[in-house]
Amino acid sequence: MRDRARAIKEATLQRLDHHLERLVGNIERLGGHVHYAANSEEARRIVVDIARRADARMAVKSKSMATEEIDLNEALEREGITPVETDLGEYIIQLAHERPSHIIAPAIHKTKGQVAELFERELKRPVEADPEELTKIARAELRQKFLQADIGITGANFAVAETGTVVLVTNEGNGRMVTSLPRVHVAVMGAEKVVPSMTDLMVFLAILAKSATGQKLSVYTTLVRGPRRAGELEGPEEFHLVLLDSGRIAQLGGPLREALSCLRCGACLNVCPVYRQIGGHAYGHTYPGPIGILLTAMLEGTQSVKELAHASSLCGACADACPVRIDIPKMLIELRREVDDRKIAPWVERVTFKLLARVLTRPVLYRLAARVGRVLQRPFVRDGAIGRLPLFLGDWTRTRDLPPVAARTFQERWAAERERAR
Amino acid sequence: MTTRAEFFAKIRGELQKKPALFVASTAARPEHPVAQADTIRRELAERWPATLEKFRVEFERVAGVFHRVASLDDVAPAIESIAGERGARELVSWHAASIAGDGLSRALTARGLGVHAMPAGEAADAAERARLRAVTARADLGLTGVDLAVAETGTLVLVSGAGRPRSTSLLPPCHIALFDRAALVESLYQVGVFLEAWHGDGTPPGTGAVVNFITGPSRTADIELTLTRGVHGPKEVHAIFVDGGLRG
Repeated sequence: MRDRARAIKEATLQRLDHHLERLVGNIERLGGHVHYAANSEEARRIVVDIARRADARMAVKSKSMATEEIDLNEALEREGITPVETDLGEYIIQLAHERPSHIIAPAIHKTKGQVAELFERELKRPVEADPEELTKIARAELRQKFLQADIGITGANFAVAETGTVVLVTNEGNGRMVTSLPRVHVAVMGAEKVVPSMTDLMVFLAILAKSATGQKLSVYTTLVRGPRRAGELEGPEEFHLVLLDSGRIAQLGGPLREALSCLRCGACLNVCPVYRQIGGHAYGHTYPGPIGILLTAMLEGTQSVKELAHASSLCGACADACPVRIDIPKMLIELRREVDDRKIAPWVERVTFKLLARVLTRPVLYRLAARVGRVLQRPFVRDGAIGRLPLFLGDWTRTRDLPPVAARTFQERWAAERERAR
Repeated sequence: MTTRAEFFAKIRGELQKKPALFVASTAARPEHPVAQADTIRRELAERWPATLEKFRVEFERVAGVFHRVASLDDVAPAIESIAGERGARELVSWHAASIAGDGLSRALTARGLGVHAMPAGEAADAAERARLRAVTARADLGLTGVDLAVAETGTLVLVSGAGRPRSTSLLPPCHIALFDRAALVESLYQVGVFLEAWHGDGTPPGTGAVVNFITGPSRTADIELTLTRGVHGPKEVHAIFVDGGLRG
């Protein structure tokens, strides 16, 4: 199944122009509009223009990493349009003025007590810290917003070229609300997310749900083809699809091409020892976790991951978990090489690591360095760690501690033990 | 702003740089989806009991409530008992022609339920549309038909269209779906065949813009990974299987 899914993705990318043209043609035939955004700035401008022309005051949004990626909410607010996140997790972090920490469970870092406090502040009344109760409150609050909103903004998990269908997968049902109740629907989607046919789509629906949450199928899969059709009681009068480039297209011929097959299921986050230690926020960009490093490099350039490229133990758990078999560790190694080749890291760091390589490969030098280091480190060791280094070396310790050279190195102890055993 | 021509020129330029990572093909689509869909229906006419049983197991696994009644006459009492247990009074439904005809509405009204059937087509004006939306948002129960019931996953597939509003299965806290063996399919692959057929030369059950796959009640685990139901969509989903068929 995984090989089949990956093969479909690769085959689609090989003829991406053809499939996208079919998608665009079909959506336009159905009365929808397609827009093209080279970068976040253009994407924001397109969506804001649509909202302004529709005289929109409130926008309801279902969970979408793409609109997170382009910082859409701030842009809408600047235009006096209130964006409301309707995925429960996203709603919580919007109230907290934070960013998602996980692709699938964005508020996984909040306790129910913290959520209750946020709701109390918003509703100005006491709220019980019970998930069932909190969910009920969110239902009532957000139901009003769904019914009032002028415009619905979504991402898209897939788009089917043959039929002009945009596909949204949710468990809560907010994707259905957002695409049915407001009078305008805008979907923002990375250009790589197109799949050729309904037959292909069925393969992906099953593996997406299984990898993301372990379900056989997510609760709601919504297939949307353009605006409300004649005879339909409800549905938007306008439908827009925004196709987003932002560095994706350049990777069709680039080293990160494999990452274009990513379904955003989050499986690689859940198994990553680094992600589990540091959490999603520590990555500092829209997409966290191992795949997030690659996506950040794709969207914002290699420069932006000069440190993140090393936030992996290369254990390979991500590649094992990936439902489309993306070789994440291989690309991370290539990224590290590029960071080095292009001399992106500061010269002090590069020289230090060159020296370190010399020392580590020469036992005599290594033993000498250990002895010298033990003396030199003395003024800087506090509570068993080097918390601050002087001069230009201080950059290294600004955000991390350095373990000191041990009082007796392993080699010294080993020699002593052998002496004793004799 | 980027134009369509610029966008596609860039894609073609990049594709020339690296034509392929490995030899790959997309999924093999059914050659004659309409004929194949007919074949699936014909074959299931023989072995539907096993498929129904599999559907029941999967549907219950995703917290759906399964009911089975002998004939159309038994549907109203079944709905009455669901309503009774929940103190529900108001029911909104697809237009009768999209479910099982007029008889059911009359039987439900006779049993004391407030029945609000949606119109066969568009609302006359914006005010009427707003009124129907308010009725749906207030209703306790939403009654719909089912276009495909998928045994592999316990999924109900509903096609929107005239007389089949999207919100009937979405806004009320309890969704009740009626189906018979004509809707049963075994797998997601078979759903794909039907979708290919409907989008090709076949006749889709509805002519609306949306197809919804519904697999159990609305759920979330966004607060401390605790599973809770009914966050936006219905808290309960009931599927009533009618042995004698919905068309009498």
